[in-house]
Amino acid sequence: MTKYLLRRLLHGLFSVIVVVAVVMLLVYSLTDREKIFGSDPLFSKKASNVRETYKYEQWEKYGYIDYVTYNEYLISLVRSGEITEEQRAKAVDIAPTADRNEIDGNYVVDIHSKDDSPAAAEMIGRFEEYYKSQGYTVVRLNADYYSVRTKKLNNGGKQVLFTYKDRPLISRLLSYFGNIFSVDNIHYVDAENDIGERKLTFTLHDPAYTDPETGKAPFSPAIIGNGTRHKYLLYVDGSFPFVHQNLLNISMGTSYSVNQGVDVYDTMTLTQGKYVKRVITYPTGLVEDSADDLHSATYVAGSHELSQTISDRFTDDYSNVSTVKASKSKIGFSFVIGIISVALAYVLGVPLGILMAKQKDKLLDKIGTLYIIFIIAVPSLAYIFMFQAIGRSMGLPSIMDVNNESWKMYILPIVSLALPSVANLMKWLRRYMIDQMNSDYVRFARSGGLSEGEIFTKHILKNAAIPIIHGIPGSVLGALVGAIITERVYLVPGAGNLLTNAINANDNGVIVGLTLFYALLSIISLILGDILMATVDPRISFTNKAR
Amino acid sequence: MNELTDISSLGLSEEELFSRVDNDSLAAEKITAPRYSYWHSVFRVFFRKKINIVILALLAIIIAFAYIYPMFSNYDRFAHVLVEGGKHLTPQKALEMHPDDSAIHWILGSGGAGESTFDAIWVGSRISLSLAFVCALINMTIGVIVGAVWGFSKKVDMVMQEVYNIIGNVPYILLISVVVMILSASFWSLVFALTVTGWLAIAYFIRTQVVIIRDREYNLASRCLGTSTLRIAMKNIMPFMVSVIVTLAATEIPSYISYEVFLSYIGLTMSDISLGKLIGTAQPSMFTPGMQLEFWAPVAIASIITVVLYVVGQNLGDASDPRTHM
Repeated sequence: MTKYLLRRLLHGLFSVIVVVAVVMLLVYSLTDREKIFGSDPLFSKKASNVRETYKYEQWEKYGYIDYVTYNEYLISLVRSGEITEEQRAKAVDIAPTADRNEIDGNYVVDIHSKDDSPAAAEMIGRFEEYYKSQGYTVVRLNADYYSVRTKKLNNGGKQVLFTYKDRPLISRLLSYFGNIFSVDNIHYVDAENDIGERKLTFTLHDPAYTDPETGKAPFSPAIIGNGTRHKYLLYVDGSFPFVHQNLLNISMGTSYSVNQGVDVYDTMTLTQGKYVKRVITYPTGLVEDSADDLHSATYVAGSHELSQTISDRFTDDYSNVSTVKASKSKIGFSFVIGIISVALAYVLGVPLGILMAKQKDKLLDKIGTLYIIFIIAVPSLAYIFMFQAIGRSMGLPSIMDVNNESWKMYILPIVSLALPSVANLMKWLRRYMIDQMNSDYVRFARSGGLSEGEIFTKHILKNAAIPIIHGIPGSVLGALVGAIITERVYLVPGAGNLLTNAINANDNGVIVGLTLFYALLSIISLILGDILMATVDPRISFTNKAR
Repeated sequence: MNELTDISSLGLSEEELFSRVDNDSLAAEKITAPRYSYWHSVFRVFFRKKINIVILALLAIIIAFAYIYPMFSNYDRFAHVLVEGGKHLTPQKALEMHPDDSAIHWILGSGGAGESTFDAIWVGSRISLSLAFVCALINMTIGVIVGAVWGFSKKVDMVMQEVYNIIGNVPYILLISVVVMILSASFWSLVFALTVTGWLAIAYFIRTQVVIIRDREYNLASRCLGTSTLRIAMKNIMPFMVSVIVTLAATEIPSYISYEVFLSYIGLTMSDISLGKLIGTAQPSMFTPGMQLEFWAPVAIASIITVVLYVVGQNLGDASDPRTHM
């Protein structure tokens, strides 16, 4: 059994990798990459050559291309000792305009210019030769003058020289899967930054809990790192599961526009809504009413020196903190609504399905069938709007408000999600039970003198329930995914709409991250369903011998 | 008993009444049974239920309105856009506003561009119905053929099982939206998006059915007697599959209409006016007093169309199961 399941799991993981590869191919290679700037406010503020290089910088950041500027190339040469700093300074300035070559009757900007200084010309030659041999495309953009006579540059119109290459799918895939799990270590911070001794310290008195009056921290164990990304690698607090860690980090893809710069995993799991302010003591001793979560502090190089606000509060560069908010995370909202509606669906759907099968062709069965037809045939959007209109006329809140939570606002989304699944359960349970009723063993049991009630509960129901049980893990885990229409209609701040939003905004990082999440969930729920089915029904076995 | 007693009253001669019949060995082999025609029986069973006639008539009316009415209504969304105070009208006011037009145009009021809601929903229905029929035709054809091969061949099964596991996990909305983004958002690109992987689920369903029937005893016996695989597929398995395929089509066709409505709602609209697009654009007027009709009318029509198609298909599926032909 274990061996079989392990094989299934490995098989599943393989198909997850292929799915992610397919999706990467779809979103990175087949869609227009210019579209990602559609909702980028910074992009529209930039002009001329700077806008052009900004595009390439962003494409590099979000994994489309490998991009190297001439400057970066020179700096890397200095570092490796091939040229001196003086040589670099001489070669770094390139001429405003490059030569133009006539190719097939069209003039094309060459990357060389007769106006380049000899030092620059030599380095540009090396630059071109080196990157062209590796399959890069070298681009030189001329200075963008608004007046050629006075040689005045347009805003952002300085001449640039860079090179780029599309990242192949395989390298993108490998780096994606390689970066999903990262273990925080004391070598995270670049060696250039002097941060003192790199070490992990174990303390019994967590400084984040320092009492503002006495200035002492109560007993609370924590592991604090220096040189790591997170300051707190392990700490204890009052919320479930009480012991928290930042040692193992998950990153599933950085968002470009849906939640800029934030990882999908964090987008889904961070709390939302109103800030929760409480008195906290910052490392400098400053006491303030704030929503900052000191335990989330991460390293930002140079932040302590640059900002007055930060140097007032923090003693080192571990200054990037997230905030504590009052409401649930996206996934939290989806899960609460989803799990209650799943429970409601089973509580209602199973008995109703049994009743329908028991009273086949009678009134209840007919009403039930009508309801099932209604749910299957009518577009889900139509009946969700209908539920919303009915609920509204009954005085229930028809949209959700994160800042002003009440239990009433959960009613309509839960009902809208539960009613279709009730119909689905009724349909299948009725079908399975009626199939079982006509089978030979039931007739045999009846001829053996068993009472109808006994046959029904001990034989028919048990057999008919097996396929239903197989679906339970799927529907429970499915609650994590959220529902697209329901969440949109009731403005639920849940995870269900993340994918559609990401698609509309061409946010590839989020799309890939969510695909990974969905694919993993679907594989896990299938395997869990099989395990559950095998535990309930002893006839089902996954070992090779029994088969 | 009376009728049988008096032979002489028939007025026939002895020879006519009693003549010798030869012992025909060929005729003796014949089994006397009423003539059975499959499709004849299907329709006999289908029309036995009176409700089916009503629903079929309703379907005919809907199709007539969707395909014939727009030819006469000359619908143009922006034809009335300049009519002052002609937008978002209740039926009563719209009728007063356009006294020269025939009343049928304005019985559902007017929409956001002053257009007739009644005309709009039928133009939308035509597009939505066409989309559903075209997608169902393509997906069912490919799905049934691939599913049959998939069910019969073990080698194909191994490959297709993997393909199914992988494609099944790629979010369907993602596939559709990528296709819509690459191509323009037209009718045919939406058809392509819905059919590029849509057949896979149908093929899988058919495959499961084929696998169940394939190894039944009567097929085993047939194979032992030397029947070719093609003949087994066509003569032994196909009759079982007809009702399955019709029932499947009954859920598929409405599901494409629902899908189109859903896609329009999340912003993946096509350029043509469809029911989904009408619902999507009229959504803000859902709770505005006096304007609800322009939202609820397409919703109601979409629901009626899908329910009618579903019920017709289900009942046709039931009727095409030979076991109901007794």
